[in-house]
Amino acid sequence: MKTSADLVRDYLSAVERETSALPADRRQELLADLAEHVEVTRAERPDAAIGEVLAELGDPRTIAATALAEAGSGAAGVPARGDAGAPARRGKVHPLVPLLMLTLSVPFIMVFPYLPGPLFGVLFRITGAVLLCTSVHWTAVQKTTGVLLTVVLPTVLFTTWNLANGNTSSAAPTVVSTLANLAVLVPIAGTAAWLWRVRRA
Amino acid sequence: MEPGDSTKQARAAAQLRKGVLEYCVLALMRDRPRYGVELLHALEESGALATSQGTVYPLLSRLRRDDLVTTTWQESASGPPRRYYALTDSGRAALDEFTRVWPGFRNAVDAFLNTPHPSTGDLA
Repeated sequence: MKTSADLVRDYLSAVERETSALPADRRQELLADLAEHVEVTRAERPDAAIGEVLAELGDPRTIAATALAEAGSGAAGVPARGDAGAPARRGKVHPLVPLLMLTLSVPFIMVFPYLPGPLFGVLFRITGAVLLCTSVHWTAVQKTTGVLLTVVLPTVLFTTWNLANGNTSSAAPTVVSTLANLAVLVPIAGTAAWLWRVRRA
Repeated sequence: MEPGDSTKQARAAAQLRKGVLEYCVLALMRDRPRYGVELLHALEESGALATSQGTVYPLLSRLRRDDLVTTTWQESASGPPRRYYALTDSGRAALDEFTRVWPGFRNAVDAFLNTPHPSTGDLA
């Protein structure tokens, strides 16, 4: 004879199994929500059998399918059974990675103004742009806007700055160049923050 | 494997319900924050919820990620602490917009459903 705790644990394990394609934090949140639901319901309806409470909550597979659909892993709604591995494979790069690479490229150049510092900064920016464009976390429009504001705009500004100031003072950090770098960092960081907010999981 | 017609219809109905359900959820929070079990009861009693209760939690999670609702933990006199859901400003704006658009949409659909032979001329 299984105890109530066993039944709840089995139920949550089933949900956990069925949501293996979900990001870990999303899965934990769902499990916490369901666990809380069971606890609150039992506090409010002490006479209700645990089996009844779990039956009302629903089939773990239905809940998992809804969670996967809400997470946007299936473009056409509920993903077909059996391809649960696909969303996990596609969303491998964490959305923070391209955003941090793009944002940190500027402070990196400020900290290491002499070669090969700027070279690495440029590499960061290119890698960040590629990761951003290949990510599943944003729409095409968001990606284009992101690349324009975090890559194209700073590159144009830096190039203009360097051309206007000649090559003699380009490497040595001055108050003015630091301020200019910070001014470029603002739209980049702002865009990165926006992309972070609008990302889909 | 092709789903049968009945499966397709069930899915279409589920999609329709799902699209409206989130506004029902937002509407329930219009006057005050609510906790999960409370929201599910209200939905179930109204008949707006066609699927099992548990499917509302992923929906609530998305509403929170979309910044339409915020959550706070509140202690309860009886039982465990509860996660309360409240409308954000953008959640309220989304609800107001839906409230504005819905009657026209509903009437338009009703008009189609209740007119067996759509007339191209003036209605009598």
